[in-house]
Order: sequence, then structure tokens, then C-alpha cells
Amino acid sequence: MGAYVLRRLAYGVGVVLGVLFLLFVLFFAVTEPEDIARKALGDKAPPEAIAVWLENHGYDRPLWPWQDFEENLLFDHYRRMLTFDFGLSDADDSPIIDRIRAGAGPSLTLTVPLLVLGLLTAIPLSLVVAFFRETYIDRMGVFLCVLAMSVSTLLYIIGGQYVIGKLLRWYPISGFDADPMMLPRFLALPILVGILSGVGGDVRFYRTVFLEESSRDFVRTARAKGASEPRIMARHVLRNAMIPILTRVVTAIPFLFMGSLLLEAFFGIPGLGSMTFDAIQSNDFATLRTMVYVGALLFIVGQLATDISYGFVDPRVRVE
Amino acid sequence: MSGGHHVNEQRRGRRVLVGLGCVLALFLAACSNDPYPPEPPGEKILYSSFTEAPRTLDPATAYTTVAHSITGAVYGTLLEYHFLKRPLELIPGLAIALPEVEDLGEGRSRYRFQLREGLLFADDDCFALSTPDARTREVVMGDVAFQLMRLADPKVGSPVIEPFANIEGFQAFGEALAERRGADETFAALPVHEQYAAIGGIRGLATPSPYTLEVTLHRPYPQIRYWFAMEFSTPVPWEAIAWYDGQDGRPRFDDHPVGTGPFYLAEYDKHARYVLEKNPNWFGVRNPDWRAPSAVFPEPADEEDVASGRGEYAGRSLPLIDRVIVVREKESIPRFNKFLQGYYDASGIIKESFDSVVVEGGLSDEMEEMGMRLGKSVSPDVFYIGFNFDDEVIGRAGGERSRKLRQAMSLALDVDEFLRIFNNGRGVVAQSPLPPGIYGYDPDYANPNRRFDLERARRLMIEAGYPGGVDPETGEALELGFDTANTTTAGLNQVRFFTNAWREIGIDVEIRPTNYNQFQDKIRRGDYQVFQFGWVADYPDPENFFFLLWSNMARSVSGGPNATNFMDDRFDELFVSMKARENGPDRIAEIREMRSILERERPWIELFHREDYSLYQGWVKNVKPMGLSVPTYQYRDLDPEARRALREAWNEPVLWPAYTLALLAVLVVAPGIRTYLKERQ
Repeated sequence: MGAYVLRRLAYGVGVVLGVLFLLFVLFFAVTEPEDIARKALGDKAPPEAIAVWLENHGYDRPLWPWQDFEENLLFDHYRRMLTFDFGLSDADDSPIIDRIRAGAGPSLTLTVPLLVLGLLTAIPLSLVVAFFRETYIDRMGVFLCVLAMSVSTLLYIIGGQYVIGKLLRWYPISGFDADPMMLPRFLALPILVGILSGVGGDVRFYRTVFLEESSRDFVRTARAKGASEPRIMARHVLRNAMIPILTRVVTAIPFLFMGSLLLEAFFGIPGLGSMTFDAIQSNDFATLRTMVYVGALLFIVGQLATDISYGFVDPRVRVE
Repeated sequence: MSGGHHVNEQRRGRRVLVGLGCVLALFLAACSNDPYPPEPPGEKILYSSFTEAPRTLDPATAYTTVAHSITGAVYGTLLEYHFLKRPLELIPGLAIALPEVEDLGEGRSRYRFQLREGLLFADDDCFALSTPDARTREVVMGDVAFQLMRLADPKVGSPVIEPFANIEGFQAFGEALAERRGADETFAALPVHEQYAAIGGIRGLATPSPYTLEVTLHRPYPQIRYWFAMEFSTPVPWEAIAWYDGQDGRPRFDDHPVGTGPFYLAEYDKHARYVLEKNPNWFGVRNPDWRAPSAVFPEPADEEDVASGRGEYAGRSLPLIDRVIVVREKESIPRFNKFLQGYYDASGIIKESFDSVVVEGGLSDEMEEMGMRLGKSVSPDVFYIGFNFDDEVIGRAGGERSRKLRQAMSLALDVDEFLRIFNNGRGVVAQSPLPPGIYGYDPDYANPNRRFDLERARRLMIEAGYPGGVDPETGEALELGFDTANTTTAGLNQVRFFTNAWREIGIDVEIRPTNYNQFQDKIRRGDYQVFQFGWVADYPDPENFFFLLWSNMARSVSGGPNATNFMDDRFDELFVSMKARENGPDRIAEIREMRSILERERPWIELFHREDYSLYQGWVKNVKPMGLSVPTYQYRDLDPEARRALREAWNEPVLWPAYTLALLAVLVVAPGIRTYLKERQ
């Protein structure tokens, strides 16, 4: 297991370094430091102000080591990321680490309930659909799932805001307030929308898992012993389907910190997803590379956590 | 055993039900679409929104509308604009009167500003640096001089160095500072106010008393007065710069303004929301008996002011509201819908809803019923297509032939149609660079070379020697290039509108999408022919528009904003004279002659001046847009009771769909359960 974890870690380091390099190349292939400066300072900024900005942000140096081995942006990019010295945002000069600290809370208040309620919605629904397999409920369920999966998240957001926020006036159309009395009303709509946009895919996935499990020998044995169908589904099928469920959930957990790009941006939740969205829109390379780097690190942590968690739910994995 | 299982299952089932009940209860308890906590009774709070986080609130560098909506409220200026008079007129702000001007000969002049005595900065911790335990201190002219030195400081990177460089010794100060910092590390480590003092300040700035500031200009530039109505020249305490350095948990000055305006920044989460509160130290609040022009609601300036009830406010002390809460809304549709629910007090009109809100230039019946009011204002800006005069085909080298070609291209464009297609018809078709509201704008002037006239355009093409767009001498079709940095679909569609129009007179114009830097590069090399630009005025003076065509500002000569490289001796002569002249018939005559030169030469095809349509809730009073990005929160008033009543009426939740959905769910699932139970039996 130890060697396996080490090997996975080594792969992870390679992935992170590669991701950082790709980000650097792609970013500077489509934009130039002057573009970032102009976006930050506005169209009327004179060349002197642009020059000062470039110098203050270190973009007056060449991009590649062969242009200047000591002072180049690529090496600086790696040095900063690997030492977690994220620096200042290119868009508004605020310290990126402060924004990550401030944004993690709002992101988690959205993503944690979304994950939990999403699971609590998707698993029972898929159990019901699997339970009624080959009936009209199953067929209808699958049809609705495919339909729900085919609709873009953006449409759910705009539709949710229009129907629930504007027409029915149940919850605010957008906004955020960390006050515990105000928070639920701001989270209700994004969570509903989040669940709705994810439930189709989840139910279809879990249904397949449950159906596969319910055709196993131990299920037949349980049935032969006279166990009730609901009991078989809840005790035998659900427990034995934990590996794929865990894979999905544990991989998702580290990303809870990253927030949800679209939900946060459209519902005005000042989390890390919203911050990444801003960074993309404002050519904020410093923030974007930090978020991509943190995302890559979390991905690797998620993968490792999944592998290790297998050992807990299925001892066979540990033995192998 | 089986009985035990049953009990367990029942318990579990009950727990699940309780859990589900809790979640449902939470969703139901949260059932309100009001995004704000209850208001404290008796307070007047204005609710507004912003889209993009301001980069900085440092008055030396803040140059965006969103930043100015904060800095303009927080930082007082020596001069201000009259709230009601149009065209805009300067009035004293922190100063006692408009500056006295003294002609020193040889183009030099001196502006003497007199500050009110007894003005205080808003309360702040930074003042303990100069006086232990102090929370504020008196404002002196040294604070204005300090801020002007910051503008000259190359490290600050102010975007407005050019106009202030008219002050004697301004540039030399910046150069001396940079040189000394480079040569002496000990000097560079000193706090900036000590560095400025060591350099000896700016030669053209003098403070003979704490309340007097003398500004000496080395060349005529009467427009300098307008720059004293902007936050760039606000008094800034050195303590704030020294204290708010981003170290030891203190914010940076960029995010922590310390000013002299009618409001102070009580809360600031720049990516989410900010709150402006009435500043108890502001002279309008502390000394209402002064009746200072900028601290009292003015008399109505026109009939519209009287008709809209602004006359009732004349003489009342400002500010009229207690607080402004501004929330970030990145997306326009949610923002507009929240406005329609009464949660914002004012809003622009989104493209998607324009036709349901505005009907034949007025409000739709639905909006009228809601008590909304429509405000229209023309921005002090101009959008235009420019020709590069350094180009051989389209520029000055072609002489009369190119001139006629430019005139023909100007006549081929139907700007009314353009505005109808791309801007819901909003906008004023431009006849000259000057927009309405700027001195010299003539509403009756119709530029003969700017109207839509395809017949004349085609005739001009023949006169230019390109009948049908073909040069008979060479037999080659005329081909031009249109450089655009706006490569979005919408942007390219707009350019296509122009190129299609020119095709009607036989000119084939190729669209060359390019990014800003590539365009800059092309400009450096002179490798461009046709382009599109826009300009928003900094201050309401014709100089701020005509300088875009002054040869001193030509891009190929000085790197200035005259990207057409238009150079005309007579135009230059008139410009220099007009720039230095006070408003009056002579200035108007010069403006007219400049206008007629542009009419003939066509360095630009003037397209339009933007027209802003804004909606205001019926409970909001005293909205009169200035055009420039000058916030006027202190003049606003509102009726919180009317707002509360209407918000409640507009936002009654509709619950029947929830019950219907629940019923539907039961109807769908029940037959399934029945089938299952039947099978079990």
C-alpha cells in the first residue's frame, strides 16, 4: 500500500508540474502582459502607468529561461507556486491568499449542503428506480434522468432564478449574506438548482450500480431467505454498492473548497468559484494560476483519499 | 428477531422522515425573497449594485466608474459641479470660492484656491500617527499639495499625469524623485511624505498659509479647474499613506480611503458589497449654518427641476440619506429582476427587457403602473470611425481624391439604422465630435457630410476617381482594411454593418480582427487604414474632445491619442487659441471653424453619442444624471415607507405550485406502491 501511495504521489507531482507548464503556455499564447495591464488599468491608462504596473507586477521580465536565465517569468511562476507564495491579484492587487481564506467559507456553505442533499436525493431516488426496475416508474425515471442530464446547468440557473426567484418569489434571485438568519434564504435556490442539475446523472449512475449489485448471488440468497425487497435494497444492495459511491463522493470532497464556478457567479456568492470566474474574465493570471494549481493539488489529494478509503470499505483491496 | 428488525426499520424510517421534515422546514422557513435584513426604523437607506470589483480606491489612480462611485462620495474636492445646472457648471466644494486666476505673462498663470477653515477628515485610526489618540485632524492645503505630489510620483503610476504636467516643476519633481530613489537606498526607504519634503516639493505649488494653495501653470490650461473637481486632487492625509501599507494586518490605502466627503466607507468587501455612511465630520453635517454651496440643495435650474418637485428641496442641508448599501451583481438579468422586485432603487435597462419596458420612447403601461420613472441622459462621449492620415490611399497623400473618398464613406453610413439594430435605438447620431451638454454643441447643426446619402456618396466616388469602387487607370478594385480589437461576435457584426454599407458604394473593406497589442504595434508601424474608437470626456469642455485631433497628440509623432494622425495647421491654430479662451462668442466662432474643417477633411466619421436610459423607483427623489462619473448620493432622497409597502405587495410568495408539485408526486408514486403491495400479496 505504502509503495502504491508513493507511486501515486510521484505521478501527482508530475501532473501538477505539467498542469502549471500548460497553463503558462496557454495563457501567454493568447494574451500578453500588456493586455493584463490594460485590462487592470483601463483604456485611458497612458503608457507610463502601464509600464509602472508591469514593473510592480514583475511582468517586465522575459517569459522564457533562454531569454534571461536568472530573471524570467516561467521560473518565477514555478518558484511562487511551489513555495505557495501566491502574491497579489493582477486585477485588483489584493493578496490572493486573503481572498482564498475569505472565499473558502462561502464556497463551503454552498457546496457541502449541496453534496449532502444531492446524495440524499440521488441515492433514494436511484434505489426507488432500481427497486421498480422494468416498470413504468423505472422507464419514466430513466427518461427523466436523460432529459435532466441533457439540459445545460446555465439553463437550470436562469430558469430557477426566473421561476422560483421572479415568478414564485420564494427565495432571493441572487445574493449572499453570511448572517445565520439570512443565509438559508440565499442558499435555498442555488442548492435546489444544483441538486436539479446534478440529479439526472447521479440517479442514472447509482441506478446502474444498484442494478448490477441486485443481480448478485448474495441478493438471491437474501431473497431466498425471505428478506423483504426494501430490506434487500437498503441493507444488501446499498452496502455493497459503496465502492462506486465512495469513489464519486471522496473525489468530490476536496473540490468542495473550490466552490462552484457557475452557481457562485450567477447567484452572487463570493466564494472561490466566483473568484476563479472573475479571474478568467479579467485576465488575472496570478489568481488563475493559483486556482488551477490548488485545483490540481486537490485532485491528487482526492485520488489518494479515494484509493485509501477503498481499503476501509473493502478489505479485499487492502489485501491485494 | 424479526420483530426487532421491524422496530429498527420503523425507527430508521422515522429518523429519515424527521430528517426530511427538518430539511423541508428549513427550505420553508427560508421562504422569503427579501435579500436584506430588516431596516433600522427612521433610517433612509439607498440600495444599489455594482458589477466589477474596483481595482483601487486610491484617488491618485482610481479611474473607473465603479471606483468613482465610492471615491466621489468619500473624497471631497476643492471644486464640484452644480447638481442641477446643464451644461455643467463648477461651484466651490471644500474651497470657499472658485479660484482666482492671475496672468503671469508668457503663457504662465497662477490659480489661487482658498480652503474653508475648520474642515475635518473622516474619523480614522491613522491620525494617531501625528497626534496620539487622535481620530481626525483639520484639513489643510498641504494635504492637497501632498496628493498632487503623489500624482507626480512615478511609483504611484497615476493615469492623469499629462494634464497636471501643466503645473510648473511637476515633471521635474517626478524625475528628481526617481533619480534620488535609484541613487540612495536610505532615501528610498523613507516614508513618502518625507521623501517629497526632502526633494523640496513641486515648484509650481505653494501654500502661503494652511488654507491657501497657489498653483502656477507654465502654459495656458484653464481646464485645470476641472481637474480640481475630481478626486485626483482631493486632500489626502500623509498619515493614511504611511499607516495603510498592507503590513501587520493593516489594509492597503488602495482599499481604505480616508477622506473629506459627505460619506465614509463603513464596510468594504470589494468583491461582494460595500456600505457608505453619512460622514459626521463632513462640513455639511457639522456646520450646516455655513450654507456652503456644495452642502445645500440648490435652487431649481430649469422647468424640469420644478416639475419633478426638486424645488421643494431647495436650501435643505445635505446629505438627505443616511446610508448607501451597494451589492455586487455580476449578471445583468438577476440585477434587473431584483430591481423590478423593488430591491434596488435604480437600474439601467437590459437589452433583453428593453421592448417590454420602453414603448415609443416612454415607459410601458406595466412600468407606469409600478410607479417607475424613466431617466434619459446623453453621455459626454463620442464613438467614431477614424482614418489613418499617414496611409497613402485614404490619408493626406491622396489629397482631394482621398478627401472625397472619406466623404463618400461618411455619407454611406446610416447611423440611425445602426443604433436601431445594435442599441435598441438608444443614442444620439453625432454630427461633430461634441456631444450634447458640452460647450459649443449646437443642436441645430447638421453636418452635410455626415447624413446618410448613398446617391451623393456614389457621385463622390466617381469624382474621387473610383466609379463603382474601381480605379479606371489601373483597373483595380479599391480595397481597404478595417482593424478592430473587438473580436466578439457582437463586435464583428457591428463592423460588418459598416463594411456592408461601404460595399453599396463599391468599396471592399476587409475586416482585420486584431488584439490590442497587435493594434498598438500596427499603429507604431503606421500599418492601418480604418479603425473604430470611442472617447468619454473627463470634464465638460470642448478641449477634451478636439485635442483628439490636435497634431501634437498625433500617434505617429508623440504617441498621443490622435490615432488618425490628422494634422492641419489651421485646426491646430484654432485649437490652441480655443483651449486658452474663456467661454464666449469668440470661442464659439473658433469651435465652428474647427467643426467645418473636420466636416470637410473627415478624419473621423462621427457615429453617435451614447444615450443612457435609467429606471428609478417611484419612491426615489432627485435623480438628475450628470453624465460624468460623479456620484450624487448626497442629493438623493427616498420614502422608506412607500418602498416597504410596495416591496411587500410585489413580493407575496406564490405557494400553490409547491402544493401542486407535492400532490403530483403522490399521484405518480402511489400507483407504483399499490402495484408493489399487490404483487407482495
